[in-house]
Amino acid sequence: MKTLRSFPGNRIVWHAIIVGVVWLLLLLLNNNIDPLYSAYLALVAMYATAMFGMTILVGLSGQVSLGNGALMAVGGYVFALTSMNWQTVPFFGWEWNAVWSMVFAGLGGVLIGGIIGGLAARLKGPYLAGLTLGVAVGVPAITNRFPELLGGENGLMLTVPYPAGGYAAMDAGGEIAGEADGDVVVDPGTDEGATGEDQQYAELDLTEFDQGNDSFAEGDLLTEGDLLTEENFDAGSDQFAEDDLLTEEDFGTGTDLGIDETAADPGGDAGGDAAGFDGAGQDESELAGGGLIDAFDSEFIIERWQASMAIAVACIVAFAALNLVRGRQGRVWKAVRDDPVAAAVVGISPSGSKVSAFVVSSLFAALAGAVFAQILSFIGPGAFGLGLSLSLLVGIVLGGRASLLGAIIGALLLVWLPELVDGLSGERGWPEQITNNAPNLLYGLLVVVVVLAAPGGITGTFKSWIDKAKGRGRATLS
Amino acid sequence: MLHTEDLSVSYGAVQALKSMNLAVPRGEVTAVIGANGAGKSTLMRTLAGLVRPQTGQVLLDGVSITGKKPEDIVRMGVALVPEGRSTIPELSLEENLRLGGLWRDKAGRMESQQKVFDLFPILAERKNMRADTLSGGERQQLAIGRALMSDPRCLLLDEPSLGLAPLIVTQILELVSRLAKETNIAVLLVEQNAVTALRVATTGVVLNLGEVVKAGPAQEISSDEELRHAYLGY
Amino acid sequence: MTNFVDYLLGGFSNGAVIALMALAIVLVWRSTRMVNFAQVGQAMFTTYVALTVQQSSGSWVLALVVAMAAGLVLGIVVFFLVIRPVKNSDSTGAIIATFGVLIALQAGAGMIWGGDPQGFLTPVDNSGIEFAGRIWPISLYDILVLVVTAALVIGLTLLFTKTNLGLSMRAAAFNPEVARLSGVRVNRMLITGWAIAGATGAVGGVLIAPVSTISPNSFDILLVFAFTAAVIGGLDSLIGAVTFGIGTGLVISLVSGYSDSGNAPIVALVLLALNLLLKPDGVFGHHGARSV
Ligand SMILES: Nc1ncnc2c1ncn2[C@@H]1O[C@H](COP(=O)(O)OP(=O)(O)OP(=O)(O)O)[C@@H](O)[C@H]1O
Ligand SMILES: [Mg+2]
Repeated sequence: MKTLRSFPGNRIVWHAIIVGVVWLLLLLLNNNIDPLYSAYLALVAMYATAMFGMTILVGLSGQVSLGNGALMAVGGYVFALTSMNWQTVPFFGWEWNAVWSMVFAGLGGVLIGGIIGGLAARLKGPYLAGLTLGVAVGVPAITNRFPELLGGENGLMLTVPYPAGGYAAMDAGGEIAGEADGDVVVDPGTDEGATGEDQQYAELDLTEFDQGNDSFAEGDLLTEGDLLTEENFDAGSDQFAEDDLLTEEDFGTGTDLGIDETAADPGGDAGGDAAGFDGAGQDESELAGGGLIDAFDSEFIIERWQASMAIAVACIVAFAALNLVRGRQGRVWKAVRDDPVAAAVVGISPSGSKVSAFVVSSLFAALAGAVFAQILSFIGPGAFGLGLSLSLLVGIVLGGRASLLGAIIGALLLVWLPELVDGLSGERGWPEQITNNAPNLLYGLLVVVVVLAAPGGITGTFKSWIDKAKGRGRATLS
Repeated sequence: MLHTEDLSVSYGAVQALKSMNLAVPRGEVTAVIGANGAGKSTLMRTLAGLVRPQTGQVLLDGVSITGKKPEDIVRMGVALVPEGRSTIPELSLEENLRLGGLWRDKAGRMESQQKVFDLFPILAERKNMRADTLSGGERQQLAIGRALMSDPRCLLLDEPSLGLAPLIVTQILELVSRLAKETNIAVLLVEQNAVTALRVATTGVVLNLGEVVKAGPAQEISSDEELRHAYLGY
Repeated sequence: MTNFVDYLLGGFSNGAVIALMALAIVLVWRSTRMVNFAQVGQAMFTTYVALTVQQSSGSWVLALVVAMAAGLVLGIVVFFLVIRPVKNSDSTGAIIATFGVLIALQAGAGMIWGGDPQGFLTPVDNSGIEFAGRIWPISLYDILVLVVTAALVIGLTLLFTKTNLGLSMRAAAFNPEVARLSGVRVNRMLITGWAIAGATGAVGGVLIAPVSTISPNSFDILLVFAFTAAVIGGLDSLIGAVTFGIGTGLVISLVSGYSDSGNAPIVALVLLALNLLLKPDGVFGHHGARSV
């Protein structure tokens, strides 16, 4: 394992395996649960995407920022504006589609994040927190400044460019699974906007995979995804059970969907060259398809599509985050957080490190914002206020400030706790005033308790328990 | 009189004071000398209550002050002038002084202030200026003045010479020595500059790696060649 | 020109309230070297307490006094339960903890008093005064706000400059070790700082409530304005907090007058960013306080 880790290439392969397996499991999960849960899954993936950035910014780089909610707004608005207004504009020979909007959302985040980060990197903790607080309150207010463009207080309804194949397979909005979530809006008109090219994509998918697998008809997202998942089959090792990140699997195992099969399939064993990819990729998609096929009749379930899209983004971001956090850059961030002077002595630029953490987390936040906009089919200042920024902070602190797994746990908590309270309230008949505020009261109190008693959050606490147990084991052995 | 019995202090794994026995009699200056890291500041900070000893006791006129808080110890009559910047530059000179004896009644405070002004006339002249306008030597006088405002029975001075010209050091130390005799307070003086310290002190204590290697009359120590070579480096 | 003067005049009482909140932030900063992001949340909570008192007793003065007392107590409680255990060990955690308190207070207030905005009656008339043949954009209530604020600021200034308690608090803030060696009970000074800050914020909350209405989140924006003012003033300076608090109020009034009140947060953000860029130590601050 040690020697393995010393080759960065191998580490990347490892991360690809981990992410690929998790991705696959999540897709399987997504296609076998009630669409209501798919909607939750989409939210969890969206929060996790944003919070991977918080892990880096708050946890590793030690900068408490409340700006990430605002950066999500940046991503969301860029996505909305590009996908609505420029849908048919050719871009370097490509028709505009959701993936390009996503890319631009990310670029928007990087740009704004770089500006804020450049300013913030010069500031100590409380000043930074205060400035980003200003960002959290100020940036959504900008929407009022440009009501025609940004829709002002009311925001913009957004026609999400659904994958054409999947979309065509269903009869307009009629089939949306009965959960009357008012925020999910499907506009039949989108269909036209979604361009013929998308259609072709979907058809291609159909022939190649010989399944009507709508959730894979995401065009570019799919191809990117294949790259990641394929790699894991190349490495073809089963050691990954050692990795703590694999506890994420627990999340998926409950539904037992042929995990053994996936894990056992070694696929190609060549060291990640292009030749090995194709075969393995085929393998993978067939495998995935095999798990999914039953779940998909010809009907298009929007929650499932949203979840698969959110999961795709979350997995790609997770892959990038894993490589950053566990690579050299992660050590740089931590070094600057722990002792900027010492870091500067060994040639690390403290402000450079801080700006880079800002930029990366802004990129992730913006992507999450774009996902959020698609989930809501709407974008407005209300959804991206101080509350959202605070939620991200709460999630990351509860899950574990410096851990990507903590970000996932935090995301789960953010989605699950309100539902739990809602359920309890339904059983016990609490008044609305209590029910509405109970989750936030819990969050607030939990944040304080965690900071005081378990600064590592849930993951940190588990880790210290495990370390303790290991320590004791060793002591009795010797 | 201030004395310690088997005083030991460690910072984690580093043992900074090892079973130290020390007596600081009234009416005279006792000088503690030793190289960097010998444990001099640790001794002073322990006596003043800023550091808690692991074992042993600190007694003031036979009463234990071990483990008490610094704010209580200074009320009992032990005042420390810590190493380095020990005035508060944001406050005026008069406020810095006043701070030294806030808990005392006004009459007592005024009396002490008069004494300080007699001792360091320059402070009286600049009463209303901010402390950061003072020179290094004046600041050190102010720091000693602040400690004297508590009307101490025992005055602890940690390297008052730090960063000062030799002439000023001699002046200040002679004033301190006079003060000890005239007001019958016990002065414990930590110095790296052994020659000057031993000149004004009655007793000398040589510290090395947290232990007393030699304690005796100041002249005896300053004339001990071997000691000088081994521990004092001159 | 009359517009300009009117907008300016209209900004003073808001500015006074921002100044009070900024003062509260500065008081906490001076005692514990941290920004209490829950400060305005505490003020929101005590303002609800005041509202309850006013509704049941009908007395504005009593409501104000009760709010101050509640602010005092809440400041002490937050300090003891949250800040004291964490402040030395984990500076990032301390910042986060204050946000935790903010979230909990807002949710708590929502549970007790509901989320709908509620009105707060003024003790005196709150419509523009008629004088010299025209109606001015200043009411009797605005004047009351200014008087109460001025009284509080003068009181605090006297406390800090003329009393032994004030000297002890300043010493404890600037150099806790020297303060302790001088016999100051530093921990008590920190608590006192938090308590006074709580009471000051509480006054600000009660004063602004009739103008802004009160709901659990209605003071969020005030936090941004107050932080901006406190930071521009240097975070350490009471005079700075008051000056720039009122200054921020005037700027906001002008911005709202000439464009739209929705732009106020953006202006505050720009002011804050510019200040942090150009005058990194604040106008009344000491060098090296902020940058890394
Ligand atoms: N707060 C601390 N934590 C850990 N170790 C400390 C601490 N303070 C002092 N030490 C260690 O204890 C030992 C004695 O230090 P001390 O400051 O008492 O020396 P000193 O004689 O005053 O030296 P100097 O002449 O340089 O002032 C040194 O090894 C020092 O590194
Ligand atoms: Mg020393």
